[in-house]
Amino acid sequence: MRIALPLLALTALACHRPDGATPVISGKEMFRACTACHGEHGEGNATIQAPAIAGLPDWYVESQITKFRTGVRGAHPDDYEGLRMRPMSRQMMNPAEIHSVVHYVSHDLKPVKGAKLVKDGDATAGAASYATCIACHGVKGEGNLATKAPPLAQLPDWYMLAQLQKFKKGIRGANPNDVTGNTMRAMSAVLVDEQAMKNVIAHIGTLNP
Amino acid sequence: MISKYVEEGSTYAGDIDQLILWILVITGFWFMLALGVFIGLIVKYTAKPGVKAKYVSGEDPKEKRWVTWPHYATLLFDVVILIAAVRVWTHVKIEQPPIDETVRVVAQQWAWTFVHAGPDGKLDTDDDIRLVDEMHVEMGKTYGFELSSRDVLHSFSVPVFRLKQDAIPGRIIKGWFKPTLLGQFDIQCTEICGIGHALMPGRIYVEDHDTHQAWLKAASPVAAVGSAPAPATGGTK
Repeated sequence: MRIALPLLALTALACHRPDGATPVISGKEMFRACTACHGEHGEGNATIQAPAIAGLPDWYVESQITKFRTGVRGAHPDDYEGLRMRPMSRQMMNPAEIHSVVHYVSHDLKPVKGAKLVKDGDATAGAASYATCIACHGVKGEGNLATKAPPLAQLPDWYMLAQLQKFKKGIRGANPNDVTGNTMRAMSAVLVDEQAMKNVIAHIGTLNP
Repeated sequence: MISKYVEEGSTYAGDIDQLILWILVITGFWFMLALGVFIGLIVKYTAKPGVKAKYVSGEDPKEKRWVTWPHYATLLFDVVILIAAVRVWTHVKIEQPPIDETVRVVAQQWAWTFVHAGPDGKLDTDDDIRLVDEMHVEMGKTYGFELSSRDVLHSFSVPVFRLKQDAIPGRIIKGWFKPTLLGQFDIQCTEICGIGHALMPGRIYVEDHDTHQAWLKAASPVAAVGSAPAPATGGTK
């Protein structure tokens, strides 16, 4: 005991940084935990329902990570993929770590155009439905920081279909604290069925911001 | 005895602790004895000048005793441990006392979904309460659980109950527990289930009757109609 206590104190002292700073792990390093699902270049993996995230706006990536961390998104029992993302978002321990990984995803990774996986969509019919989306997501699906609407043209088609279905069923966007999600959930009512969703997604596929 | 140092939160936690203690005592006793004999023989037969090493062929029964007696002792104590273990196993895993209520436990990468029966005490009705990473039970009630997995192997573990049960995709595995300690306790996955395995902790709330009834009323989606909104999910932890 006489030796143990001073040894313990010495060990604690050795772990302490004299400048009091907290070491921040680089975004690239942090992102290694994400590659198992989102891919080495953030290109996504449709097989496991992990979307491409490379090059998405930093404000959007940060807002979604925050939602996952706080249980505003990805906490519904039926949101299988969201429940998988929720604990992973909590690997970042503080705002500095979140910021570093967000910066890496948004600015250091280049957007990847994935293959079109959603078939049977009628882009012409979808153009009419898309008129409702323009106010937030923009004419060319370029997104809008002011309305916190992501750039749809950058999102994989299969991911948009899955999210539209979740919004419609209340699996996503039902949490009272999810302000933008609540809006999107209400707007998803415009698309009456899966075919209408496929149509609007087909139209988004033709947009080139 | 162990309960002085580690909380025991279910009716069978003490049985399991007792079994582990017996195994520790038996194996610990023989380990220390074997170590003592081993060190004693090393000291006694340390090389000495002028003394030639003896080749032991093992044919002399007096020499073989050093192997055969421990062998018989091992077999005997294996049987003792086996009988004690099977008794506890039968009580925990084979026998099932009358169940007061059933909870559905669904494991997935990397979360737990708990389906509680709601105020009517029956599953698959409108008042079922589904929570993520959060389970509520009443102390003193016997709960049955139906464990399943949405994807890969998991293991449902409540250390304070000494409860551990693997979840296997495609199967519904039944078990039971009876909480005996009020409080909040950890739920963990004890089967490596992917990159987020360490990040899927849950929480079990063992409540007294009044607290549990109040929670049931507040959390039930049916009871909440027209009043305060029921939480769609649990954990924001």
